[in-house]
Amino acid sequence: MAASEHIVGRGIGNKLILFTVVLVAVIWMLPIAWTLLLSFKPNSELMISTASAFHPPYTLKNYADIFQTSGVFRWLWNSAVVSVGVTVGILVLSSLAGYGFARAEFKGRDIIFVLVLLGLAVPEQAVIIARHQMFSDLKMHNTYPAIILPGLSSAFGVFLMTQYFKAIPKDIDEAAMLDNASRFKIFWKVLLPLTIPAQATLGIFSFLGAWNDYLWPLISATKPEMFTITVGMASTQTNFAQSEGLGFLMAQAIFAGLPVFVVYLFFQKYIVRAVAGAAIS
Amino acid sequence: MSSIELDSVSKRFGSVEVISELSLTVHSGEFVAFLGPSGCGKSTLLRMIAGLETVDGGEIRIGGERVDNLPPGARGVAMVFQHYALYPHMTVFDNLAFGLKNIGTPTEEIGRRIEEAARILEISHLLKRKPGQLSGGQRQRVAIGRALVKDPKAYLFDEPLSNLDAALRVRTRVELARLHQQTRATTIFVTHDQVEAMTLASRIVVMNARKVEQVGTPMEIYGRPATEFVARFVGSPAMNFLTINLKDRGGFASAVLGDGSVIETDVPINILPSGELRVGLRAEAIRVREDGAIPGKVEVVERLGDRTHAHIRLADGSTLVAEDKGISQVQPGDSVRLAVEGATAHLFDADGLAYHARQ
Repeated sequence: MAASEHIVGRGIGNKLILFTVVLVAVIWMLPIAWTLLLSFKPNSELMISTASAFHPPYTLKNYADIFQTSGVFRWLWNSAVVSVGVTVGILVLSSLAGYGFARAEFKGRDIIFVLVLLGLAVPEQAVIIARHQMFSDLKMHNTYPAIILPGLSSAFGVFLMTQYFKAIPKDIDEAAMLDNASRFKIFWKVLLPLTIPAQATLGIFSFLGAWNDYLWPLISATKPEMFTITVGMASTQTNFAQSEGLGFLMAQAIFAGLPVFVVYLFFQKYIVRAVAGAAIS
Repeated sequence: MSSIELDSVSKRFGSVEVISELSLTVHSGEFVAFLGPSGCGKSTLLRMIAGLETVDGGEIRIGGERVDNLPPGARGVAMVFQHYALYPHMTVFDNLAFGLKNIGTPTEEIGRRIEEAARILEISHLLKRKPGQLSGGQRQRVAIGRALVKDPKAYLFDEPLSNLDAALRVRTRVELARLHQQTRATTIFVTHDQVEAMTLASRIVVMNARKVEQVGTPMEIYGRPATEFVARFVGSPAMNFLTINLKDRGGFASAVLGDGSVIETDVPINILPSGELRVGLRAEAIRVREDGAIPGKVEVVERLGDRTHAHIRLADGSTLVAEDKGISQVQPGDSVRLAVEGATAHLFDADGLAYHARQ
């Protein structure tokens, strides 16, 4: 009897959880649905009232207009280059640094690690003028390296990889040492493959972060052909009050987000695991 | 196979000396166990031989060649770790092949050696699996296989059975003994389990507090322990110790217990120092018998099936463990008499040094 009561109780509990999850999902999706809906509406109608979104006519003109914007494919390409560059760079550097902090013994290691972690506490805005000045002095603005390089210093990445390498038992390194593997081979063939879950997490967060980044590309890329998609799209918006061209604006938002959506579809499994892992740890 | 010689080796961690001027020779083909409690330095010593710890003083030679300045991979030894340390992302085959590939062994030779090792260890059907898909016992076999394929100068085992359940531990122990009989490989086996050391090793090195207490065959260690520590550590139940007064019995020591009972030992009295002495008796040397000389009261009875251990309090308040037959009538609270086999008694001085009957 107690058991059946327990099962009934659990059934109600499950339904409550399901209801809450659905509710949160709906609340979360509403702005996206609203953006999508508005993107199919003629701008002239939206100027009068956004309530018109709920009834026809609908149009693809806003999307067609995006393709009329010169440079949009160039901006997509720039975003792809920057995002992939930042992601690969962060993965390589964070893995090497993480391995070093976790395994190598050298003087001042712990102090250097704390200094790296302090990087987490410094907001980008606080250093952006000095950074701008530096790239200006180097005459590097409006180049891929200028947009990519600042993104490579990922304190989070170094921290994540250090912790992950530390969690791998040292026995494994030692077994490989006895198996005649060089230090680099141990890193490359034995330990690095074991960090793939952490690499996936870091890679996804880095890619999304780089794709969505707006501030630094806006400052560094002043020539339209070096704009990333976020900067490029923003540059076509002449009026931020959105009194006109609201549908076009929404179509741009959807369009700029599409590649990220595709990435999400491909890496859904890893992203869910990454976010869940971050929540647990 | 090769001998392993340790010549006055020392090791320090910071200011703490964990191994002090230790010398030892493991002969070619010999199976030696390093036995001792946690923290006694036995694993550190093994890791120094493997090259995983540096040597702060002295020399290590394997097969006559000095190796303490060589990296682990160049010493020609193979090690089986306590937690197996298999490469989780590689298949069993690749785990076995990794070390061979690193020294440029031809592919056909790698295949042949792995096939042979897998046959001996009965893991041929597991070669395509990854370690995560194996049971503890299977992983252990793979770890042994990884050592076997390398055809090393010596095998080093670091508590390899401690992660297995009791039944599997006994089975693997027998398999290791069989494997050693087949390969006749020089082997060092680190363990804190005296049963493993006694059953597997041809010689045991008993270590305590970072120094060697005794080196000897299993029966030497058991029958003629050099120190009180060895006597207590080896054997289950632990040896009984009772404070005694000494009496001369025609050149041999008679031990007078607190209650006045006398145990006639075969230990020559002239080798004994002055000062406090204790007698050491194994449980099997103390029998519950009606005609026994020592009276006592049974407090606890442990029935092990083939024998029974009775914990007995003597008249002077001291306690000891006596052995009785499996189907024993002894009950807690019984008053019993104990017969002691004095010939197997050992005497220990205040510093824990042992004195035995002549052989």
